[in-house]
Amino acid sequence: MTSLKLLTALFALLATPLFVVISAFALLSFHAVDIDLAVVIIEMSRLADTPLLVSLPLFIFAGTLLSESGAPGRILLLSKVFLGWLPGGLAVVSLVVCALFTAFTGASGVTIFALGGLLLPALLREGYQDRFAMGLITSSGSLGLLFPPSLPLILYGVVSETRIDQLFVAGILPGILMLVLLMAYTVRKSPRILKERKRFSASEILSALRQTAWELPLPFIILGGIYGGFFVAGEAAAVTALYVLIVEVFIHREVPLAKLPEIINKSMMLFGGILVILAASMASTNYLVDQEVPTRLFAFIHQYISSKYTFLLLLNIFLLVVGTMLDIFSALILVVPLILPIAIGYGVDPVHLGIIFLTNLQIGYSTPPVGLNLFMASYKFERPLLELYRATQPFLVLLLLTLALITYLPWLSLVLVELLG
Amino acid sequence: MNSETAAKPARPILHLLAGIEETVLSLLLLAMIVLSCLQIALRGLFSGGLLWADPLIQQMVLWSGLLGAALATSKGKHISLDVITYLAPERLLPWILVLTHLFSALTTTALVYAACLFLQNEVTYSRPGLFGLPSWAWNAIFPLAFLIITLRYYLAFFQAIGQLRQRYREGQR
Repeated sequence: MTSLKLLTALFALLATPLFVVISAFALLSFHAVDIDLAVVIIEMSRLADTPLLVSLPLFIFAGTLLSESGAPGRILLLSKVFLGWLPGGLAVVSLVVCALFTAFTGASGVTIFALGGLLLPALLREGYQDRFAMGLITSSGSLGLLFPPSLPLILYGVVSETRIDQLFVAGILPGILMLVLLMAYTVRKSPRILKERKRFSASEILSALRQTAWELPLPFIILGGIYGGFFVAGEAAAVTALYVLIVEVFIHREVPLAKLPEIINKSMMLFGGILVILAASMASTNYLVDQEVPTRLFAFIHQYISSKYTFLLLLNIFLLVVGTMLDIFSALILVVPLILPIAIGYGVDPVHLGIIFLTNLQIGYSTPPVGLNLFMASYKFERPLLELYRATQPFLVLLLLTLALITYLPWLSLVLVELLG
Repeated sequence: MNSETAAKPARPILHLLAGIEETVLSLLLLAMIVLSCLQIALRGLFSGGLLWADPLIQQMVLWSGLLGAALATSKGKHISLDVITYLAPERLLPWILVLTHLFSALTTTALVYAACLFLQNEVTYSRPGLFGLPSWAWNAIFPLAFLIITLRYYLAFFQAIGQLRQRYREGQR
């Protein structure tokens, strides 16, 4: 049986779909202890009792629809008008736009493809160093995961059974801190004389505002709706989806109606991919909990580490490694159920833990050897990976600094949660 | 006979299946959006709501997810640790593909078996579910979706073998 499980692990390394690997693990495990295999499906069917789950397909759909429309270009224009006059204007604009875009589309990697092609040539034209520009785009590919309504935030809420409305506010300050640190660095690294720097006239500002008039209210609708008590997070996703559908298809008419089924299918394949991993891990996690693995793991770790802060440090290292190997969705689904009980044992707040998780996994995207952002950028811009390793280094240092602050100052994640109740 | 010719009579069926899946997925998503928004409107305007709407939405999430996964299988869009394609030498890749497809097909076969056992239990101890339908009818999506996924992995396996044989023949020439 152990050898079969090892074989399964080997297949995971051979790029077998993860849901197959986890299902195989669950099936083998239950079979080994003579439990009826139907239990695997019983566990999966429990997903129907998760009211929050509906927000995943709806936000994925809204995000895909937005990225297929002209919205990214419009957001870029608006940010340029309002932030372009700053020292380091375009670099700051890039950071803000990437963060906004990632928050709404959630699935990372998309950002580099959708915006990298627009931003990189623009940065180079303005006289930024090539290496700096590459590093900026690559590491911004996953920026914004901490802002609502990012999918990884929702997924963490689903897996850990933490309140989504709390997670949504918890990420705001840490996310802003990360942005501000990166902005400060980009301003310092900006070329002294900007070739295309200009101030925009009032009519240009007005025009940019008018063009984005339909997209601008979106964050306020989501957050206002949830915190104003008009609807819960699951319903916020439906409102967003309906709103984006009406705006992009019927008002802006940038996505023809005939293209809608294709976009729906694309979204549903991504959702289906996440759902089956979630389903399979319901079964495998049930086995692990049944075997008291988290409890024993906690007892084992507690023998050597009694301090919460040492535990958090080790957790950071562990998650950074996980983040370089797994995509953020699978990492959350697989690791959260094991770590959450241990972290609670050390007195870590589940909401704070969520922000720590996401920050780590976000950094893992840009960490060698196998961070996804590095591969995406290498593919998109046809640069060797080694060059990108070097280019992202200064940004990584800043992100790690943010991670340390987020980890050791729980206040940063929790103050808004407490304020809003 | 290579896999190309073997798959030919099946091709219209596969095409039809994908078409049905895509239509059902679109309808499910639109229904989820409309129903959720309707609930908000009913609550806001009449402080009421449809009792059956929320459980129905949750079932639709499950259905759309599993069907989405079935569709993702045919397009090779499942999430995996995609390191090997960067690291392995290129001539090994077709062999790896044959092995992983076979492994996936066998595992999902076991899932279909588990799903049938599960459904059998549900039929035996039938509980009334939503709209007076028995609970097993709602859960029938598990064996159905896993069956589609399994068939697609076997198909992919045979196609991968066909490609290997073709390469081998071209190599000999």
